[in-house]
Amino acid sequence: MPLLGLVFAASLAGFCALSLAMDRHSEDVFGRGSTPGAWRRWLQLGGTALLCLSLWASLEAAGGSVGWVLWLGALTAAALATVGLLSGLPHRFHWIASAAGGVAFLSLLFCL
Amino acid sequence: MKDGFRQSMAWLHTWSGLLVGWVLFMVFAAGTASYFKDEITFWMKPELHAISHGSVAQAVAAENAAAYLNRNAGNAARWFITLPTAREPAVGVLSIKPPPPAGSPPAERRRGFDRAALDPATGQAITAPRETRGGEFFYRLHFDLHYMPALWARWIVGFCAMFMLVAIVSGIVTHKRIFKDFFTFRPKKGQRSWLDAHNVTAVLALPYHAMITYTGLVTLMFMYMPWGPQVAYKAHGGTDTFFAEAIPGGLRTQIKPSGTKAALAPLAPMVAQATAHWDGAPVGRIVVHQPNDANAVVSITRAEGRHLSYEQPSMQFNGTTGALIGTFGDVPKAAAETRGVLYGLHIGRFADPLLRALFFVSGLAGCLMVATGLLLWAVKERQKYAKALKQGGRIGFGLRLVDGLNLGAIAGLPVAMAAFFWANRLLPVDVVGRNEAEIRWFFIVWGATAVLGLLRPTLRMWQAQLALGALLFALLPVLNAFTGPAALTVSLRSGPSSVAGFDLVAIALGLGLAGAAWLVERKRRKALAAPRKAVKPPPPTELTASAAAGQGS
Repeated sequence: MPLLGLVFAASLAGFCALSLAMDRHSEDVFGRGSTPGAWRRWLQLGGTALLCLSLWASLEAAGGSVGWVLWLGALTAAALATVGLLSGLPHRFHWIASAAGGVAFLSLLFCL
Repeated sequence: MKDGFRQSMAWLHTWSGLLVGWVLFMVFAAGTASYFKDEITFWMKPELHAISHGSVAQAVAAENAAAYLNRNAGNAARWFITLPTAREPAVGVLSIKPPPPAGSPPAERRRGFDRAALDPATGQAITAPRETRGGEFFYRLHFDLHYMPALWARWIVGFCAMFMLVAIVSGIVTHKRIFKDFFTFRPKKGQRSWLDAHNVTAVLALPYHAMITYTGLVTLMFMYMPWGPQVAYKAHGGTDTFFAEAIPGGLRTQIKPSGTKAALAPLAPMVAQATAHWDGAPVGRIVVHQPNDANAVVSITRAEGRHLSYEQPSMQFNGTTGALIGTFGDVPKAAAETRGVLYGLHIGRFADPLLRALFFVSGLAGCLMVATGLLLWAVKERQKYAKALKQGGRIGFGLRLVDGLNLGAIAGLPVAMAAFFWANRLLPVDVVGRNEAEIRWFFIVWGATAVLGLLRPTLRMWQAQLALGALLFALLPVLNAFTGPAALTVSLRSGPSSVAGFDLVAIALGLGLAGAAWLVERKRRKALAAPRKAVKPPPPTELTASAAAGQGS
């Protein structure tokens, strides 16, 4: 169960980080003119790492073949959720993203 | 050169998508529903909801089924026994009658099989659940269509799927900014919003769309491209030999009766031996060829588990002695395994409920991708008439046709699907030909929405049909509460959980459709408030993706 939580939380947090690394979505969330600045590289790195973590969790949770299917499905769901949050709740986006990151971290601790 | 290529791909994408879009929308919607076809069928048989099936050992369930079949179909040519699973608590049995003697009346020949659902614990037939095709209807609809020979339908659907594959590849080429626009959705911006919605639903579920279209073609590849085996096996007995060699132990095995009676050996030891051979994996299906004949053969197939491949290993036993004849498919050949995995990915029967839900979400994204693509064509085309419309002119025939078909296909299909469920619960239980009556209601309602859409492709009509679909879906749990024993309040607490799941998904789809109807209303108000120069209200240009969220199945 914590593994499945990790799959979804990590892919959501990962996509949120990747979107915040882009100027357009940084403006959506933090207002016109804001850029991720020096954070850009870290957001990209962290987002990629979270997506990799989600892959690892999927393979652990569902095995070597079905795990890939689970991962791709979770990525699709998480990316759709990210787009929905960016256009629907832009001002709470960073809180939800942080919460997803927190859940991912906790479930990782639980798994290890 | 590069621009030229991209532009020609844009042309290809537009037309390959538009021409088959309406069929594709139906195929996507019905196919998406098919992920839950067992649950849909179960919901549509409320007589089964109150029966609680404790878990029964597989060997016991198999013996009970064999006893039932011995009593009721002792002289059948073949028995099929499908053992219960978490998704399907009853034992399914089907017996095929022996071929009638030559010269018998044709009425006797037509109905060649008997089907029943048994309680696994007692082996008694479950008293007359209502006749319904259930989820099987949507499953068949998505590649066999209806009211036409299945073979034609499969060619039509295959043709559309091929166009879909072309549209996917050309769409990827056309879309210049896949990664820059990865998360981009800008609502309330007219054509821009439509394009964003189309891109987001297409790109974010791209692995699914490419997989499902390609594997869909693979499932029927021996029909679309039969020439390989035909040529290779020309001198060796034709394609039947090919299938027997490529997929040994399959259903195509034909056993001739000897004519000598012999009692069938007990099934329980065979089930136990098979399960032990597969490291404890449960048995899925038992086929008894020529039961109670000296030549009887029992073929046992493993249940679908967490294996991608559709082909499951099987074991064959001598039906009179119970001795093992052989094991098949334990180490599948690479080519057969490749096809099995591609096939298995398409039908997704390996998936647990969570993974199934993810497939469902991706399928809904596919419906939205097709729907937004169709609407985008109309929105773009309408701009060419903007000037003429301002002067009170009319739009062209092509655009009017597309508008009407869009309405009937996109807003009408959910109404028809919901009507199918309503018909299931409201038609009298004992009416003759109930299966077909439910299906007729589906097509009557769909036909009506399509005709109305073609006659009046207006915003009002969009709104009316979306709202009707929303109402019909959202009220399904209420209907269930009045016509079945497992209302949502009961099923949420004590099961069956698949009925609760159906009701909740119906509410969610209803809310999605209601959201779409609400957005059309906003658009219509805006059009009314604007200076009323145009004689006709302009049709929709600004449903957003979230609005369309319920337009799927």
